[in-house]
Amino acid sequence: MSITRVTAIACGLGAASVLALAPAGAQAEWPERPVTIIVPAGAGGGTDATGRLLALGLEEQFGQPFNVVNQGQGGGVVGFTSITTAEPDGYTLGVIYNFAHYRPMGQGDFDVDDMTPIAQYNFDPAGFNVPSDSQWETISQALDDIKADPGAYNIACGGGCGGSWPIALATLLREWDVDLSEVQMISGQGAAAALQEMVAGGFDVVPSSVPEAGPLIESGLVDGLAVFGTERLEAFPDIPTLQEETGLDLELGAWRGLVGPAGLPDDIAAQLSAAMEEIYNSEAFQTAMTSRGFGLRWRDAEDFETFMLSEQDSVRQLISTLGF
Amino acid sequence: MDVIVQAAALLADPYVILVMVAASIYGLAVGSVPGLTATMAVALIIPITFFMDPIPALAAVMSLSAMAIFAGDLPGALLRIPGTPASAAYADEAYAMTRKGQAGLALGVGLVCSSIGGLVGAVVLIAAAPWLARIALQFSSYEKFWLACLGLLAAIAVSQRSWMKGFLSLLLGLTIAQIGLDPVSGLMRFTFGFSDLAGGLGFIPVLIGFFAVPELLRYALGRGPTPTVKSQPARRLFSGVGRELVRQRGGIARGSVIGTVIGSIPGAGADIAAYVSYAVARRLSPRRDRFGTGVPDGIASASAANNSSIGGALVPATVFGIPGDSLTAIIIGVLFLKGLNPGPTVFLVNPELITAVFLAFLLANVMIVPFGFAAIAGFQYVLRVPRSVLMPVILGFCMVGAFAVENTVFAILTMAAMGLVAFVLEENDYPLAPAILGLVIGPMLEENLLLSLTRARGNLFAFVERPVSMGLAIVVIGLCLVPLALFLARRLRHSDGRS
Repeated sequence: MSITRVTAIACGLGAASVLALAPAGAQAEWPERPVTIIVPAGAGGGTDATGRLLALGLEEQFGQPFNVVNQGQGGGVVGFTSITTAEPDGYTLGVIYNFAHYRPMGQGDFDVDDMTPIAQYNFDPAGFNVPSDSQWETISQALDDIKADPGAYNIACGGGCGGSWPIALATLLREWDVDLSEVQMISGQGAAAALQEMVAGGFDVVPSSVPEAGPLIESGLVDGLAVFGTERLEAFPDIPTLQEETGLDLELGAWRGLVGPAGLPDDIAAQLSAAMEEIYNSEAFQTAMTSRGFGLRWRDAEDFETFMLSEQDSVRQLISTLGF
Repeated sequence: MDVIVQAAALLADPYVILVMVAASIYGLAVGSVPGLTATMAVALIIPITFFMDPIPALAAVMSLSAMAIFAGDLPGALLRIPGTPASAAYADEAYAMTRKGQAGLALGVGLVCSSIGGLVGAVVLIAAAPWLARIALQFSSYEKFWLACLGLLAAIAVSQRSWMKGFLSLLLGLTIAQIGLDPVSGLMRFTFGFSDLAGGLGFIPVLIGFFAVPELLRYALGRGPTPTVKSQPARRLFSGVGRELVRQRGGIARGSVIGTVIGSIPGAGADIAAYVSYAVARRLSPRRDRFGTGVPDGIASASAANNSSIGGALVPATVFGIPGDSLTAIIIGVLFLKGLNPGPTVFLVNPELITAVFLAFLLANVMIVPFGFAAIAGFQYVLRVPRSVLMPVILGFCMVGAFAVENTVFAILTMAAMGLVAFVLEENDYPLAPAILGLVIGPMLEENLLLSLTRARGNLFAFVERPVSMGLAIVVIGLCLVPLALFLARRLRHSDGRS
């Protein structure tokens, strides 16, 4: 298969030069050849950036190249399918993010049982963004108005309406007893595009990560009314938390973690978990994540699985109420 | 002015210059392989920039992207395999010139125009970024819908012989663009249950299949015309470039402006800019009848447009952190990583740093010229390789390119299948460029139409209620109706004469 070889060279161009700097680690039985990390997102986005950071760390730990392969087609469906159907031999891993919506929306055929969780390393709370000339000063006002007349406001989903940010917002609306079947949620091509559309007058609310809306908030075109986390973000100390504003103790947003296909041998999973913990706690990883505005969150394999299962239940129920 | 001097001082560091030269060579190499895009080149260099200071890191990314976008023209002109979608608008034209033995002229004009376009984009970026960004931000889905319609009209300009066949080809492109997840409701369309089709047919595999495979098939069937390239010393290779540039000055200026403006609107980009300016060039050229047979007018204007659009796309990217395309999305990532968080404050807190980044982009566009000429002079030898050796190698590159961009074997099948379709189309004189245009614009058109309709709750008047959308609507409808009215008027006069 000369195609595979040449492509590996092309894909490894960047990785190889980094590898030259990495000290050769102890050679265990696994991995004896390069490992592929599938990122179900396009090159250049947040998932890709954190995936490449992890690959860098894993390379140092195991002394083998960890090649990032981007498969962002179909909103990630193609990448997730590749991860969950790969041979569980430890040579194909995947960086994943909120995926519970694909199956109930009829887009993909995989769930938590098709994966071997290794570790969660990131969580970013959702932010509630409105245009600066909006009639709403606080999120409680906004929620009350939406509850009073759910169909009157245009709410952006950012990407598809099953994505992390709209699901976070929909979960909040459900907690506020808003009639979800009436709410007007409109999908599009990503949070950045939706934010631009909102400034141009198209939307009343856009949920997104706070750093993504940061430049527009700084320039006074957008107001961030709340962050859906347990504490305020260091970089945005003026944006209150959901609990401060509404009293609801919710933590909603996007997360990322490392998994293998279901049936990954225990010893490999254990080695990977240990390596992930070391990488997560390294200063280089922490600085690199924070400097790009990614939140840090650690869950080991067991907690990660429990967390994904409970999210899976919640999202399925939500999507059937929303009627997507 | 002080800021610009300080910024220039930051760049005038031998290390920075060395990094830019290395990145340029890398960009040329990657960009000239069909299927390996500028975006991919930049994504691969990111882990290396982790270890660099902000200025060399960003200077590397800037010179890399400028160089890779130009390098996409090389295989486009010499082998008729456009390296980037933005070169697809004029790949046929450039290849026609190569067949006439004018490869040097086609590429030389394209090169200098790329550089000029890039410089215009850079100057606008330095002079007016915060101001222009506020305007670009006001483009809502209504305006973008009309803009997409305007892009579709360019299809008629890029269909050389029969506009009817061009129209059918456009419809084919629009149909292919519908495969996969629907951009608004997220439903599967035409996927027949295959998860491989969920993302639609990959754009780059289709592009390679459309342009490269028919050429290979024609060669295999022994009916491909062989481009003639006389071995020429560099000076003679580029003879006539200077004269042609003077002649094209109007087209170059128009292309640069169109590129900067379209590039600065998030969601539009280099591809649409290139098609639109090619169409405008054809409309206004005195040689419009000979378009498609190898005249440099369209090439000049469209090359200027696709490079100036990068400068345009950096406007909303640096001022508001809103990426215009995947390339600027990566650049935003690097800006964050290096602590130059995009936003209005970056112009207040670190004006010399961000200006240095813009200057690096400017410098990169100057560096295109010597590097490009050297690359063209070297690349012409490719055509002197015996065809029986060259063609299989190209096929190999095409397969690698298709696989590399999508990372699925399915992409190679897509390339092969689309290649067969394109071969049949071309055998029957259907132009291919409109189909590519449909593929580029289809998603933008559909998304903005559906988004607008949902938002306006079905009220069609919303499409003309805003001043800019009204203006664009008048242009689009006018462009459709005027030729029709002229046609009818002529018909009427004709029948009057007879009666």
